[in-house]
Amino acid sequence: MAKTYDYLFKLLLIGDSGVGKTCILFRFSEDAFNTTFISTIGIDFKIRTIELDNKKIKLQIWDTAGQERFRTITTAYYRGAMGIMLVYDITLEKSFENIKNWIRNIEENAAADVEKMLLGNKCELNDKRQVSKERGEQLAIEYGIKFMETSAKASINVEEAFLTLASDIKAKTEKRMEANNPPKGGHQLKLTESRTKDSWLSRCSLL
Amino acid sequence: MDFANRNNTANKFVCPSDRQLALRAKLKAGWSSSKSNEPLRPEEQEAIISVIRRNEEIEIAERQRVGRLVERVEKIKLHAVERGPNCCRLCGDTFGLLRPQRLICEDCRKSVCAKCSVDINIRYHNSERTREIWLCRICSETREMWKKSGAWFFKGLPNYDMPRSASATPTATPTVGGSRVVQSCHGTPTRAPRLKKLTIRVQDSSSGSSDSAQSEPEDELDGAKAKTGCKLQRDESFRLRAYGSIRSFIDNGERKLSNSFFFSRQAANSRPNTATATTTTALAAAECGDFDSISMSNASTVAQLRRESSFMRRSSVSSSWSFSDSSGSNNSATQQSQSQSQSQSQPAHCRDPLLGWLELAISYRESFHSLDCTMVRARDLPAMDAAGLADPYCKLNIITPEAHTKYTRWQRTKTVHKTRNPDFNETLQFVGVEPEELGNSLLYVALFDDDKYGHDFLGAAKVCLSTVHSTTQYRISVPLGVEDQYSSEAELSQNWPNGKMLISLCYNTKRRALVVNVKQCINLLPMDNNGSSDPFVKLQLKPDAHKNKKHKTSVKWRTLNPIFNEEFYFEASPHDLNKEMLIVTVWDKDLGKSNDFLGSLQLGAQSKGERLQQWLDCIRLPDHFHEKWHALAPDNPTH
Repeated sequence: MAKTYDYLFKLLLIGDSGVGKTCILFRFSEDAFNTTFISTIGIDFKIRTIELDNKKIKLQIWDTAGQERFRTITTAYYRGAMGIMLVYDITLEKSFENIKNWIRNIEENAAADVEKMLLGNKCELNDKRQVSKERGEQLAIEYGIKFMETSAKASINVEEAFLTLASDIKAKTEKRMEANNPPKGGHQLKLTESRTKDSWLSRCSLL
Repeated sequence: MDFANRNNTANKFVCPSDRQLALRAKLKAGWSSSKSNEPLRPEEQEAIISVIRRNEEIEIAERQRVGRLVERVEKIKLHAVERGPNCCRLCGDTFGLLRPQRLICEDCRKSVCAKCSVDINIRYHNSERTREIWLCRICSETREMWKKSGAWFFKGLPNYDMPRSASATPTATPTVGGSRVVQSCHGTPTRAPRLKKLTIRVQDSSSGSSDSAQSEPEDELDGAKAKTGCKLQRDESFRLRAYGSIRSFIDNGERKLSNSFFFSRQAANSRPNTATATTTTALAAAECGDFDSISMSNASTVAQLRRESSFMRRSSVSSSWSFSDSSGSNNSATQQSQSQSQSQSQPAHCRDPLLGWLELAISYRESFHSLDCTMVRARDLPAMDAAGLADPYCKLNIITPEAHTKYTRWQRTKTVHKTRNPDFNETLQFVGVEPEELGNSLLYVALFDDDKYGHDFLGAAKVCLSTVHSTTQYRISVPLGVEDQYSSEAELSQNWPNGKMLISLCYNTKRRALVVNVKQCINLLPMDNNGSSDPFVKLQLKPDAHKNKKHKTSVKWRTLNPIFNEEFYFEASPHDLNKEMLIVTVWDKDLGKSNDFLGSLQLGAQSKGERLQQWLDCIRLPDHFHEKWHALAPDNPTH
């Protein structure tokens, strides 16, 4: 209760097992790195509050297990997520190929207008690279989402990735609230009326 | 099973292949339908549960935050003046040349002044051009609330707790949803065992006593009618239509439980105990109660079913609520002496359990001497219109030990339209309540149905304030009782500026006509310069294709309380009456200029409450006069 915040965004990290989802989250929340591989059990989350345009945004970031045996649990958390990070390992071709399956998984389980982002992790291991940056970008364009190559170990782009996702969600919030007047429907007709009147007025001023 | 075997051969540590996904898609069970054969180990379960608990803490904080946002908007709404299109919605200033400029709010289309609104620039759909719009403070705050609570994303406000509950300690129990997640990892299809058990029990109890479920409600209601008299009659006639047989079956269970209160306190949290506690109270109720038509074993299963179903319902609404001790008290009058754990068993017929129940939360702030009463929700209220719905609202007052109402002005909540299960979620504040008063005062809540032509009683509850402590919130669920002196007082506190009319209806079977006797009116509006009016009444039965179903009374000169006693005949078959509507308008006769409108009343199958009751009585019991007072509404239906 001590800290107040203006927004609460729930984010979700998904991707194959071992691509470094937990490490990315660990880097973002604690700014630390652990080389030992401990498979996540089911689900976990971390909290970090960031500030964007003078608004405090509390990020609750859910880390999911990539293993299939936890799939029932992890998919239950898709619905509540406002943003999803898709993570693959640039040194593992298979994890990149699986991204399209994960996207399909999102389409099945998550809210329709969830904000997505693609991350190619372990970019410090350039000599073991199997997936080129261009392919990652290409895939991101295909799905119309943003892309970044990150490294949890070398702390490259992790912070930026989360900030980008958070600000995208925030921008979406504002846009959504502006575009169509929010809570109740019902005065849609009146809105169009005033629009037509506006356009007529503007034409008038042009003349 | 073939599918499961194939799945085993695949590497479980990676995402499944396209082929596997395509196969699963055919199953129409989602991608996650595959069941791994490894169940979760206990330590894994524990780890997951601990995460779920941590999440719950955050969710409680979030719910309270959203609650504060909601409260903020509600407060602004409460202070809005709403005086019509010529005044600012918020401050009530009138517009004019030298006065504030009139602006129209983009969202609510109501007029506001510049002081009470904000202007924002919004962008046209795909262009860079912007235009300026105005939003009143209520709508801009509502937008802000939608933004901040995440409601914009989830297409509706998430669950929230109103700020009063901030002091309550968050309970650290896993939610039903949480345990369901763990359970489903074991390979159980989708539902938790609790749900399964419940459905089985429903089948069991309904098959075991299906005959009694079908035959008993009427018998029992007849018995109850004889005992409690005419008061019940009206509610039954409404409700029997609205309720299905299963519904009344469950209500029978509630009838058994009618003398047990469900106290829901957030602090206490002992579910296993309550199961037995509730069952024993139910048994005790069955023993002492006068409804002996259901066998005891039957009653206990029904009671348990009821308990479980209401538990499920509640936990789905807000997980921080939990069942705790249930202590008995039956009659709202004895509630005063009732203490929380003490159980009383007196005959249960004092209260009609079919009036539904009300959940409220009370807290007392000693520093402000204010009592905050939150009307949370009401359930199973009586139906008031032909569609089986009602438009309920609450009226509150405090009853002093001298059995008087403390405040002359009754506080009322907003109306929740078209429902018998309203969620009010509204906090009303009584300022100036001394701490020593709490010990022997009662909070009185009456529920009414909102209608243009009069407000009908739905139910009333009294809550003893001695158990209300400062700081901690006291949440309670009370069954609603029948009308008494206070509820009529609450009803009278609503003033009807247009006066009232006494009208009598009768269907004459010999002449095949509806007889309307306009008896008298009281407290009509003065329309003439001499401070009085010259009233007469116009009657029309609609739909009126040939314009021949119109009548009017003589004019009574210079009076505000005219006595007419005039009878009119409208030819109609009883079948037609179900579709027709009698429109009554009162006018002030003016010579040389048009008549002034004084008030209106509509009676028919589409009207509500007492009006509907009178109409239906008239059809059901022909050749008898059915006489009732009705309030007159200020709007003219013929226009």
